[in-house]
Amino acid sequence: MGEHILSWMTFFPVIGAAVIAFIPSERKEIIKTVAAAAAAIPLVLAVQLYIGFDRGTSAFQFVEHYTWIKSFHIEYFMGVDGLSVPMMLLTALLSFICIIASWRIDKAVKGYFALFLILETGMFGVFSALDFFLFYVFWEVMLLPMYFLIGIWGGPRREYAAIKFFLYTLAGSVLMLLAMIAFYLNVSDPVTGGHTFNMLHMFNQANHSEWLQLTNVRHLIWLGLFIGFAIKVPIVPFHTWLPDAHVEAPTAVSVILAGVLLKMGTYGILRISYPMLPDAAQWFAYPMVILGAINILYGAFCAMAQTDMKKLVAYSSVSHMGYVLLGMGAMCKVGVDLQSAQAAINGAVFQMFNHGTITAMMFLGVGVIYDRAHHREINGFGGLGMQMPVYTSFFSFALFAALGLPGLSGFISEAMIFMGTFPAYRTVAMVSALGIVIGAAYVLWMLQRVFLGPKNDKYDSLPDINAREMFTLVPIGIIVLLLGVYPMPVLNLMKVSLTNLIKVVAG
Amino acid sequence: MELLNLNIPSWSDLAYWRPEAILCGTFLAALLGDLIGRGRRPAISFVISVFGLITAGAYSVAAVLHGGAAHTIMGDLIIVDGMAAFFRLLFILAGLATVLFSWTAEEIMGRKRENKAEFFYLTVLMTAAMMVMAEARDLLMLFLSMEAVGLVSYVMAGYMRTSLRSTEASLKYVIFGAVSSGIMLYGLSLLYGMTGAMTFDGIRAGLLAGEVNGLSLLITVILILAGMSYKIAAVPFHFWCPDVYEGAPTPVAAIFSVGPKAAGFALMIRFFYTTLAAGADPSASAPLIELINWPLLMAVIAAVTMTYGNLVALRQLNVKRMLAYSSISHVGYLLMGFVLLTDAGLAAILFYLAVYTLMNLGAFFVVVALNNHIKSEELDDYAGIGFRAPWLGTMMVIFLASLTGVPPFAGFAGKFYVFTAVMDRQWFWLAILAALNSVVGLYYYFRVVKAMFLTRPAEGADTTPLKIHWLQYTVLAVLAVPTLVLGFWFGPLKVLADQAIGLLSTGM
Amino acid sequence: MEITLSHYLLLAGAVFTTGMVGFVIRRNAIVMLMCVELMLSSTNIVFAAFSRFHGNADGHVFVLMNFAVAAAEAAIGLAILVEIFRRRRTVNVDDFKTLME
Repeated sequence: MGEHILSWMTFFPVIGAAVIAFIPSERKEIIKTVAAAAAAIPLVLAVQLYIGFDRGTSAFQFVEHYTWIKSFHIEYFMGVDGLSVPMMLLTALLSFICIIASWRIDKAVKGYFALFLILETGMFGVFSALDFFLFYVFWEVMLLPMYFLIGIWGGPRREYAAIKFFLYTLAGSVLMLLAMIAFYLNVSDPVTGGHTFNMLHMFNQANHSEWLQLTNVRHLIWLGLFIGFAIKVPIVPFHTWLPDAHVEAPTAVSVILAGVLLKMGTYGILRISYPMLPDAAQWFAYPMVILGAINILYGAFCAMAQTDMKKLVAYSSVSHMGYVLLGMGAMCKVGVDLQSAQAAINGAVFQMFNHGTITAMMFLGVGVIYDRAHHREINGFGGLGMQMPVYTSFFSFALFAALGLPGLSGFISEAMIFMGTFPAYRTVAMVSALGIVIGAAYVLWMLQRVFLGPKNDKYDSLPDINAREMFTLVPIGIIVLLLGVYPMPVLNLMKVSLTNLIKVVAG
Repeated sequence: MELLNLNIPSWSDLAYWRPEAILCGTFLAALLGDLIGRGRRPAISFVISVFGLITAGAYSVAAVLHGGAAHTIMGDLIIVDGMAAFFRLLFILAGLATVLFSWTAEEIMGRKRENKAEFFYLTVLMTAAMMVMAEARDLLMLFLSMEAVGLVSYVMAGYMRTSLRSTEASLKYVIFGAVSSGIMLYGLSLLYGMTGAMTFDGIRAGLLAGEVNGLSLLITVILILAGMSYKIAAVPFHFWCPDVYEGAPTPVAAIFSVGPKAAGFALMIRFFYTTLAAGADPSASAPLIELINWPLLMAVIAAVTMTYGNLVALRQLNVKRMLAYSSISHVGYLLMGFVLLTDAGLAAILFYLAVYTLMNLGAFFVVVALNNHIKSEELDDYAGIGFRAPWLGTMMVIFLASLTGVPPFAGFAGKFYVFTAVMDRQWFWLAILAALNSVVGLYYYFRVVKAMFLTRPAEGADTTPLKIHWLQYTVLAVLAVPTLVLGFWFGPLKVLADQAIGLLSTGM
Repeated sequence: MEITLSHYLLLAGAVFTTGMVGFVIRRNAIVMLMCVELMLSSTNIVFAAFSRFHGNADGHVFVLMNFAVAAAEAAIGLAILVEIFRRRRTVNVDDFKTLME
């Protein structure tokens, strides 16, 4: 497996899904075990990836490069750099944990786990594809499983949420498709002179045709790609699918949605839009930080107004993804010193990773209480701290991580982003910092209403968190804590690649 | 010019025309078999039809494998070339799948007063006629083959003659079909008048040699397009399509939605490409196309067709009717390939037609299979049916996702190819419109998926698993597997389509 | 007066227009089919006239074939109409609304 580690990671889950399809649907335990195994192997491979990754170069590693569809110049081209490795790790970890967290699913078990594994394949594929067409296929492969996971196993308004998610994402991705074709037709392979989908060729501005060098064209293509990615992030005003999808989706699917799928939007911008259209990225830097600030504040204010725990967490995601945008925008400004730009972009990518782990903990936490009380109304609880002490400590840990408590990982990434943004866009950074205050407000407010105060007698018999649930929360908790104290294991992975990105875009 | 350039077909000519000859023979044999069985033993005709279609298919495959240059048959009336070979395979696939699937379709076999055998041999005859449509290179053959397909279709649409819906659909089809072919014929006669030639090559030469008036050429082309648009159901000649599909038995609607449409496209490709665009001298082709502003004409027809089909499909609650409007919108996507009459655009049409045949037939067949059990095509009656027949439901999802154009299904590859061909010539507004249209498509296609999997059936509704006939599963799998595989392995099909079009431009 | 090509074409145009207009304004299915036959006949005139004009026989051949096709079309159309008339006792197309929504 050493040679083709990325392919194995990507396709092992789908092999698992195929196996599951042929297990009789009554054998639920076997299905779950197969699913867990199919998700565990990529996790092991991810560790291998982490160990084997050369931190000293910005070149793509673990490259696999084959001809796929010759007549369209489509290649099977996989590889990872410092930007994608953290995302691969995150995906492997969360997918495995989510399979474990889904153990209590008992409706159409076979379909659930098969679809979940197909989803996992799509996620790995997006983070490791270096051929634009391949990237697009993986990007879209995720839609169908997601639609069913929300639509069949979701909450009361699941039908609406599922199709809304699907329509929004597809609307974005057809724009991406057109942008992709425009690139395909206007980028020439330096070796053969023909069209190409190879991203590395697309990164090289010398391969662009004259038409593609027109400023207006570049800005239009940028906007097409941006809308496609923005819907996924989601950037206000393209965010309205998110609260619906999150609230209706089953716990594990919410975790994947918030933990991994949202990152694909920002990953796409960093992987595709920035290096392919660096000048447009500079042009868009200011709008990007403004959108980031809007996301931070709008998400935080909306979160404050929620009475449903899951919806609150969903809006907090909108807010937290705003920090990522802030860092990404600040990086593009020309004339800012390298240190600040590095802080901004490293912080942004680190925030992507941290948000993945922290929201995962929060959603899992909400799932635990929902499994027991069958509702998520913040006002319906109270004094759970006495009733479920262990659970309370885990959930509070997640909430403190979310509000950016020093010593936990979220603090470091947010601090880095602000350090990087401040020299570039002083006012925006200052306004955005308000988001931290509001963030603290809604988190503490929820903490108080749910866990403190007089105990609600209705919940006298609620059992505390069980071993399986602990098993899903503990590993993420350890990572959040460790990276909060010593972030270098992740920061070292991405530093060189991201510095190279700064050179390409703003250098 | 000779007085009559109709040569008597010689045996050596027929060697290149084996599949068609075999199908004609099959038709006669099945008809005879039906007579021997006194109309009560459809199995005889069924077996003969299946056997004949398979044999013809084998010869068609062999012809593709042997390759070779194009051959003209019966003087200049018919040409057997790469494109003809491509469409032969397509039509035999559609015909064979329809015949096999109908054997277990209650709508055909469950009827009391109709002669079931008729359905099988008419399908065979239609397949043969469609093949000729793809091979015609002369106005006479163009007209005759179109009429042959049309006449068989009228009868098939009215197959359920005891059903008012079916006969009304058939009447609508025949009346409007006749008037549209009348209009087209008028255009053909004018074209003959302008050029004095009947063969496509001769017409082209005549058009280039004489001083053609742009306006009269435009009127002629529009008259001819009217007849062809009727065949492919492009706006504004689409109105028969939903009624006929809904009224006709579903297996008939299935083959209507792919067969005559693909044949119409084949005819249009050969006719317009040869008369207006192709030739050894590409620089000479531009004047004719520009003279009548062909690209804009086609772009507008394509845009209106796809948008109209999609928007009306949104409102449909009957799955068959919805699929009818969806097929109209797909004609719009297909017409995008016509905008520039370039090789890439036409090859994209061929490619798209192949995947469209697979996925659309599949979707219609699932409707047939469900109709066997629930006797309905209303969306509301589909509630929860995905869990009663999981494999059937899964295949329906594959077909519908493919029709939407979501990767990794074949429909996406088709759209991708068409978009690329259009964007290569900078028709961006058309590409953007088509892309947005496919998002609209998602909504109504997935309403069916939603009904099948997401909606819980009403209290007390039947939830027992459905027993689907093995033959139905087999045919559906034969359609579903390529729909999936062609989504990420479409290189060979693309090469085939490119070759077919490449031969068209050089192998005259 | 000498009869020229244009006379034939004008005649054909007039017949075609008559057929077209009749098809559009009449609601009796049989009359509509007859109007279609008129349209087909008009094309026969054009083909025959041009055949003579161009001095080749292609147009004449077309006319002969067209007769056969028109006959087949009328036969099928009338057969279907008879089937409907048995049930409906009308041939007015405005009454055929089973499929309208």
